[in-house]
Amino acid sequence: MNVLVWLTAILFILMIVIGGKKGVRSFLSLFLNFGVLFITIFLMTNPKNSPILLTLIACTVISWISLFYINHISSKTVTAFISTMITIVILLLFIVWITDKSMLRGFGEESTEEISIFSLYIGVNFVQISASVIIMSTIGAILDVAISIATSMHEIFHHNPSISKKKLFTSGMSIGRDILGTDTNTLFFAFFGGYLSLLIWFKDLSYSIDEIINSKVFSTELMMIFCAGIGIAFIIPITASVNAYYLIRKREKTENLS
Amino acid sequence: MFPSHIMEVFLLHNILKKRKYKQIVFYVLIAICFIASVFFVFHNEAFYERPIAEVIKIHVQDSTPVTDMYNNKDYLYTQHITAILKNGQEKGQIIQLKNDYSASGAFDQEYHVGNKLFVTIKESTDKHLDLTGTILDVKRDQFVLMITWVFIFALLIVGRRQGLFSIISLMVNALVLSFALDLYVKHSNISLLFISGLCVLLFTVISLILINGFNDKTYAAIVATLLGTFISLLISALVLWITSENGLRYEEMQFLTRPYRVIFMAGLFIGALGAVMDVSITMASSMFALFEQNQSISGQALKTSGMDIGKDIMGTITSILFFVYICGSIPMLILYLKNSYPLGQTLSMNLSLELARALAGGIGVVLTIPISLYTSIFFINRKRAK
Repeated sequence: MNVLVWLTAILFILMIVIGGKKGVRSFLSLFLNFGVLFITIFLMTNPKNSPILLTLIACTVISWISLFYINHISSKTVTAFISTMITIVILLLFIVWITDKSMLRGFGEESTEEISIFSLYIGVNFVQISASVIIMSTIGAILDVAISIATSMHEIFHHNPSISKKKLFTSGMSIGRDILGTDTNTLFFAFFGGYLSLLIWFKDLSYSIDEIINSKVFSTELMMIFCAGIGIAFIIPITASVNAYYLIRKREKTENLS
Repeated sequence: MFPSHIMEVFLLHNILKKRKYKQIVFYVLIAICFIASVFFVFHNEAFYERPIAEVIKIHVQDSTPVTDMYNNKDYLYTQHITAILKNGQEKGQIIQLKNDYSASGAFDQEYHVGNKLFVTIKESTDKHLDLTGTILDVKRDQFVLMITWVFIFALLIVGRRQGLFSIISLMVNALVLSFALDLYVKHSNISLLFISGLCVLLFTVISLILINGFNDKTYAAIVATLLGTFISLLISALVLWITSENGLRYEEMQFLTRPYRVIFMAGLFIGALGAVMDVSITMASSMFALFEQNQSISGQALKTSGMDIGKDIMGTITSILFFVYICGSIPMLILYLKNSYPLGQTLSMNLSLELARALAGGIGVVLTIPISLYTSIFFINRKRAK
């Protein structure tokens, strides 16, 4: 039997045994997200579609699935959703600009051999595709931070309904800081693991430091890691302020009514 | 004598002043580093051995539409570039370059005025003509530096102390990895799995202590992370052995001249580590917090709340891994599909390794939930006994 079938079966069984109903839903949402990613890639092969626009739509659908399917619709998930969307739009603008400026696009030196048999003039905009790749790699982490902060801020507000807006925001920020360390860590190691073969390749060819820093592969890798970190840093103040604004406004509304 | 509370206020004021002073020194240092490095990177051509030329004028020839054999339409352009050499013996001389690029830019690119390029200079016999040469690559170090600074500032401004620690942790871990790989490349008799095992140990201890400091929570998380990573590696290795790796396509690692199976396993090992650490530190922190709120909480209650937390984080952390791994192969998938490759082959060639990595990481994450639950309870019980 196929390795992937085995691993998928093991993951599914473990998720059911340990997570119960929630485990089943988590597994299904992985599956759905994978499907969304696929459809997006298919649509990207048509040069008439803008990869950036597709990425924006894909991120919306993925956030929708991860937030509203696993956790149901509530003010927590709605604020998390709004914060995620704001962050993604800001990040997209920033990343499109930086990928364009730094001329990091398309394929790196390591795939020269593999792509030599292909026609490369395929009419798809590779600057935008590079930007999409960076955004979509981080969407998982961005969602994680958004939902964690939203949940904890709702909890704090629930236990302490008379809290001031500023204090609520500051406590959201401090929760965010605690998550920042672990989530950047998760991403760093995931990238390290994925790039291990490239790193060994670099060491084997004994490139000099200046060649490594200026090469396309290495600078793309660094860019992925740093943009992921920047994305996580961005979402923290955005989620904290969206939640503070929403919760305080809700309180003011009920006060006005009574 | 001062009344004690005035004394206290006075002391507090001093401490704050000291801290502020330290902070200012830190900020000034960072600002100096920033300015110095930016200045250096924009004026460092003299340190390069390869000739560097700055583009000063561009003349674009007409575009030609091309259609390849799969009916993909694209545009080809030719740029005639006038550039000025910035280093070496020919410094200050004008060089003429030519660049072909396509609108899609899969493996080529358009240059703009102000870009700095690595070039080779052709020997010319006629002293009166401009030099000619070919373009090798773009000088990217200034962009690498800029994005590094944006990253550092974003983490420091938002994360403050935690941001600083995660920057330090990234740097230290990258150094450890680089050193370990040097060891592996130079002494091929040391097994890569042994080296990466040692690395995992070091990474775990360094990162978790930097994230959470020296305390019982950290120790519980370290034990849980190591157990979780090794057990999930064991499971993945077992699956690979049972299926004799049926379904895994190593083509995308072809550029390596080394046994890629081991390298793939090592990458799998390290890639899942961050996620596993994330689970164990989150579990340990929240369970210790529950215990500290209510010292007499029963073991059963701890277990139930711990499991609830685990269920909450399971889905999001696995999906972080999925997105990181699968999105990296988007450009290659598009290239294959646009070259009319059959869908099944495209997917298995480009996604099998990534999917295996993501799935193995997911197994690690889910397994670590009960493991960290029990290690945290063990450490809490030890604390209780004291």
